[in-house]
Amino acid sequence: MAVSGFEGFEKRLELHFFGDDPAMFPLGLRKLDFESIEQVLEAVQCTVVSAVGNSYFDAYVLSESSLFVYPTKIIIKTCGTTQLLKFVLPLIHYAHHLGLTLSSCCYTRGSFIFPKAQPFPHTSFKDEVSYLQDTVPPSLCFRKASIMPSKSSSHSWHVFTATSQVPYDHHHENKLLFTMEICMTELDPILARKFFRRPEDGKSGDSAGKEMTEVTGIDEINPEALICDFAFDPCGYSMNGMDGDWYSTIHVTPEDGFSYASFECVGSVGDNVGHLLRKVVQIFRPGTMSISTTCNGYTNDMWTQMATALEPLGLKCRSRAIDQFPAAGTVVFQTFTARRKSV
Amino acid sequence: MAEEGQVISVHTLESWKEQLQRAKDSNKLVVVDFAASWCAPCRFIAPILAEIAKLKPEVIFLKVDVDELRSVVKEWFIESIPTFLFLKDEKLVDKVVGAKKEAQKVTIEKHSSAIDC
Repeated sequence: MAVSGFEGFEKRLELHFFGDDPAMFPLGLRKLDFESIEQVLEAVQCTVVSAVGNSYFDAYVLSESSLFVYPTKIIIKTCGTTQLLKFVLPLIHYAHHLGLTLSSCCYTRGSFIFPKAQPFPHTSFKDEVSYLQDTVPPSLCFRKASIMPSKSSSHSWHVFTATSQVPYDHHHENKLLFTMEICMTELDPILARKFFRRPEDGKSGDSAGKEMTEVTGIDEINPEALICDFAFDPCGYSMNGMDGDWYSTIHVTPEDGFSYASFECVGSVGDNVGHLLRKVVQIFRPGTMSISTTCNGYTNDMWTQMATALEPLGLKCRSRAIDQFPAAGTVVFQTFTARRKSV
Repeated sequence: MAEEGQVISVHTLESWKEQLQRAKDSNKLVVVDFAASWCAPCRFIAPILAEIAKLKPEVIFLKVDVDELRSVVKEWFIESIPTFLFLKDEKLVDKVVGAKKEAQKVTIEKHSSAIDC
């Protein structure tokens, strides 16, 4: 492991809002004008690289990951040394002007590869929780913070959720949905090389990104999705996928010594995730992988389905931790390592 | 002409047909920005497109509001916004979906002479 390098592990925030005024809908948060979004992103030290919207939501590729804006929820994921939690207050302020009130806040992250390089409040989970406790309005009175363990002390899953009594709008009330966050390290170096720009290729970041999407087979994960991709100079890759009202997002830090890739998506419980996991492993061949699923219900099948899909690919399940959180539901954190490694 | 170097907003079907005909008659590349007034991603690219329009007076830049000209939106299968269609002789020569700073410029350059900056 390198002494220092780019931090691939992301911090993720999901904020839900509600509003009484029917005039605010169907757009809701999507009514936030671009200038306001830019201002909020400035607080987090990010800029917009590309943006697109469909009938359900807007998706932004940022200089340090991604942002998704739905009518009643916002999801932002940033890597490096961004101070993501500084997103909360300005967003609450702008949402208030739109007649929208925060109803829940969910913050998750893995373990940083370079924890000492993180600025306050990301200096420790304790500091992050303390900051969130002070920032989140008192109406969000049901709160929980927990570090979900694995067999390795250097890889845990940190979760903080807070919610008010007002139930937020479950878009698909009868369907069980899950959000899946996959974090991969020790990427196969030959596969990781595909995420380096060729020097003097004369391409723009957009077209080099499109090439990477095709060459690596990322476009085969979900052929139905509209993909917005970008290749950073000299290396690095980001993409957002849009399929109806579901998003997916991939971010790659390919440098040897601190290589990292993440894949996140939404799905229905009951969907077979085997195909998806097989494709993701085929693209990155990671040495370690963690999968965190957040589900507004509980079902045992999915977790075992994942382990079953990954086993023949040489990734052995080393740990599984399960917990319940206000607003989020059930969170399952599983870690896998390649059989070539000794635990 | 007063309209050169600017992005022209097209509000009616007649105006749309007129603009396409004008482009066909003068053998010019047409860049169409499908956008909506409420769309934040569209606002990201709007100033960049306006700048490119100033530098490329020989290209016709049109803007279509997806809520206004629904038949045109349907005709060209626009599902996400912003979407940029590149038309020559009323035929589609290229497409960029999403607001991507460099992609718009690169695609315009590809279908017309290089931009002098």
